[in-house]
Amino acid sequence: MKHWIGICVLILTILAISFVVAANINVLLPSTNVRTLAEIYLKYTYYPWDKYFTAMSPEACTSIVWDFRGLDTVFETMVFYLAIIGAIALARGVPLKPPKEIKGEPGLSLIVKTVTKIAPVLIIAVAGSIALHGHLTPGGGFQGGATAAVAPVLILVVFSQFYLLKRGVNKNSMLLLRSIGLTGIGITAFAAVLIGLATGHYAFVLQNQPKPLAPNISLPAFVGGQLISGSLWFFNFFEFLAVAAGFTIVFLLITLPEKLAETKEEKRAAEGGEK
Amino acid sequence: MTLLDIVLIVIGEIMIGIGALADLIAAIGINRFPNFYLRLHAATIGTIWGAFLPLIGAAFVAAGCECLGEYRWFMAGGALITAFIILILGPAGSHALARGTHRSGIVPVEPKVVDHLEEDESMPTSQEKQEIGEEGGESQ
Repeated sequence: MKHWIGICVLILTILAISFVVAANINVLLPSTNVRTLAEIYLKYTYYPWDKYFTAMSPEACTSIVWDFRGLDTVFETMVFYLAIIGAIALARGVPLKPPKEIKGEPGLSLIVKTVTKIAPVLIIAVAGSIALHGHLTPGGGFQGGATAAVAPVLILVVFSQFYLLKRGVNKNSMLLLRSIGLTGIGITAFAAVLIGLATGHYAFVLQNQPKPLAPNISLPAFVGGQLISGSLWFFNFFEFLAVAAGFTIVFLLITLPEKLAETKEEKRAAEGGEK
Repeated sequence: MTLLDIVLIVIGEIMIGIGALADLIAAIGINRFPNFYLRLHAATIGTIWGAFLPLIGAAFVAAGCECLGEYRWFMAGGALITAFIILILGPAGSHALARGTHRSGIVPVEPKVVDHLEEDESMPTSQEKQEIGEEGGESQ
């Protein structure tokens, strides 16, 4: 009996919410008037007729994140990598190596393994397209990198961690990849300044298209007829590398078997206790 | 709009309708079934009949809808690829869940007629396994 009361209350609630939404649809819909700031952003994200203010990218989010407020994003990236550095520092001295002998066949059954041989390829392809089209369609370096990091997680769970470690996806190689990504972000941020120093013109850090005070320096918006939006493509690409590698390190450390994580002193202490 | 387009759209809409019905049945099953394995069965109805089939239907509708122009082939192709991915990933996931639960033994297998997996696991020697032809789900 109580059953039916619950179901009736649920249905009535749904109907009431639908009625309220339908009756006040004019109030609840977002207004067509856009505020001035949004208007400026929407106008100037891709506006080749005014080179001084545009970011030359049809994707408003990416142009805001990496051009209009680029310095903010550099600090955000820094916070994220400090967190990952913290995780690596916590696990320092922990040997991330596969044991010499593995008993039996690690991982899940043959069916799951076969499917997992197909899925990571698709995941990395989608992640690459999210990251490399980040200046054209919704997405970007961080989203693409987070998507790419799902592939190693899948392999970790299905094939065991040792499968990845044996194939060179370990802490050091991922740290190298992450460092390449971060260095790339730094070089892209200073690219305009370096070009300016070489040619003797004024330029800004994180500059993409020419600015009123630095009219001579700009990064190319088109390469071979393809829109790459100056620095945005490079930022997205390097952020993709860095985020994918950073997340992979964290996942490797999280899934480390506890027995392998023992340092030499702890092993000695455990053996001494047994004797 | 040719006759073929109309047929495609009607078939697609029927498939989407079947999918909605299957999702409802799956939801009722997840609520009402008494234990884990039966609920997992209901959940897989939701992934195959409730997600794979409507996506094929959506591909048909997109292919038959002339108003979309050239882009209908993009939509149909996207729907077909998504359907294929669900078709291979869904069963693998439910298989992994069921196998893990069975091996850990935290849920009694009931109602049970026959349990080949349990019989395989209780047989220790590989010789006996070869005699029954390794028909169970043991990893090889």
